[in-house]
Amino acid sequence: MSRVIYWGSVCFCTGFMILPLVLVWPLAFNTSSFLTYPMEGFTLDWFRKVLTEPTWTNALLNSTKVAIGSMIFAVLIGGLAAIGVMLTRRGTQMVLSVLFVSPIVVPTVVLGVAFAYAFGRVGIGGGYIALMLAHSILGAPLVFLSVITSLRGLDPNLDLAGASMGASRIYRFATITLPLAAPGFAAGALFAFITSFDEVVMALFLADPGSTTLPIALFAGLRDRLEPSIVVVALLLSLMSLVVLVLINRLQKRGTKTVL
Amino acid sequence: MSSLEIKNICKHYGAFQALHDVSLSIRKGEFVTLLGPSGSGKTTLLKILAGFEPVSSGAIMMEGRDIISLPPEKRNFGLVFQGYALFPHMSVYDNIAYPLRVRRRPKAEIDERVKALLELVQLGKYAGRKPQELSGGQQQRVALARALVFKPDLLLLDEPMSALDKKLRHDLQEELRDIHSTLGTTFINVTHDQEEAMHMSDRIAVVNLGRIEAYDTAHALYRKPKTRFVAEFVGKSNIFQGRISSEPGNACVFTSANFKMPVIDPVAAMEAGNVSLMVRPEDADIFTAPVTDGRVFLSAKVASSTYSGDRALYTLTLADGTHFIAYGNARSGVHANGADVFAGFAPENTILLG
Repeated sequence: MSRVIYWGSVCFCTGFMILPLVLVWPLAFNTSSFLTYPMEGFTLDWFRKVLTEPTWTNALLNSTKVAIGSMIFAVLIGGLAAIGVMLTRRGTQMVLSVLFVSPIVVPTVVLGVAFAYAFGRVGIGGGYIALMLAHSILGAPLVFLSVITSLRGLDPNLDLAGASMGASRIYRFATITLPLAAPGFAAGALFAFITSFDEVVMALFLADPGSTTLPIALFAGLRDRLEPSIVVVALLLSLMSLVVLVLINRLQKRGTKTVL
Repeated sequence: MSSLEIKNICKHYGAFQALHDVSLSIRKGEFVTLLGPSGSGKTTLLKILAGFEPVSSGAIMMEGRDIISLPPEKRNFGLVFQGYALFPHMSVYDNIAYPLRVRRRPKAEIDERVKALLELVQLGKYAGRKPQELSGGQQQRVALARALVFKPDLLLLDEPMSALDKKLRHDLQEELRDIHSTLGTTFINVTHDQEEAMHMSDRIAVVNLGRIEAYDTAHALYRKPKTRFVAEFVGKSNIFQGRISSEPGNACVFTSANFKMPVIDPVAAMEAGNVSLMVRPEDADIFTAPVTDGRVFLSAKVASSTYSGDRALYTLTLADGTHFIAYGNARSGVHANGADVFAGFAPENTILLG
């Protein structure tokens, strides 16, 4: 009976989530320029178009730049926060953890407005830097959670053992803590990257014409010219998210193996 | 000349006092075991020695220098952890080389020292393995090599055998003893296993309720325990409560619920009053009929017996319902449960406890 429930819920959930995507994907290969079934023929022209048209390639480049930049910021902020929190006492840890995770629960629209206003006031305005900083606030909590989980999994005796052998705190951190928590850092970094890469709400507030990201281009495409190239972009975005998720999963598995 | 002097250490955790005025002096090159039940404070004392725990008061003198305020990394003490705490991301070789790399020794010297230590713990072939690819006993040796490679002034061992099976424990005890006599480093071992303590140590400090209950050689603790706790914790024993009194015109006499006997030890006899008398199970014999040779005889019934080939350990029920344990020679088989026997022991082999 429990097997029936298990498979039932698995099928229902995956169907619910994946079916809409799967239904759209074939349209990326459709010869017709309308997003309708039945398909008229098979073509890779839309892929060629997306990969050559400057609107899309620039957007892809912008998104990559912003995602890499915000990933670096997020790893710095979230990673340092996690390391710092681990050094405090239990009560302080709880309060600080909640604080560092809080950007996740604030609606992105609110954050978008707040950043647009605040950056405008300090003169950063729209553009790459604004996007990177704003996205890193979304990515940092993910890095924080990922890193603190792998730090908590470390045997505290390893650090004590290092100390008993004469290693200073910094040396111990570099040779013991960091290598063992590395999978946590890497998984967090990938989370931060993909969060920024897919983010649309804050980007709408903060991107200027020179820094249009892929989700925004997609958004504009939906409004202006509904054609299969949009589906191609969506397909590429999904594939990339999938690859990143697989990578994260592998890192987390490796992490637990080395930690235990 | 003692190289390590622990002076009047007290340790409080809030209202709970874990250590009460603990003092110990340990000679250079000595193998000392802190023996005690769990919660006795022995591990706390080890952590204080390692520098992981601050003390409430007291001092640790290392060759005349107080090291109590030094952090663990400045103490130059080797430490073997209960769970070994080997670095899982490093090979056996890198684990052992770690303390030398910390000290920025030249590469050639590191290589030479690590190889020497691998040889010492007989793990030459495993240098390239990861710790998790080794058995428990092998991991323990890596931990030992890593703690010794930098020639520490003192080696601390925190229940090093607790995760190993009995046979392996025995072999490693012997090996540890050998390594100790080869290197001449001062060893301090923490354990709750009195057999392990007796096998390996030059001296044993029995720790109970945060105090050092006794500090002496294994033989002295076994044959001449000063307190009832030591008598019961170190080895098997039978304890009788009774009184010492001097009868008119006679020597001192010990009287308990079960028997009366003359007291041999004149020093202990000086203190009249309530005392405990201990009989080790190997000092008593099992008889089928009493013999008149000055021994104390107690009539008893066999409650149970454990046969181990060379001998059998009997648990007897005495007339007043208390238990008495004694080893019996089992050459012609063991006495059946319920059999009527006599337990006999000579007064000179008994030990009076204060």
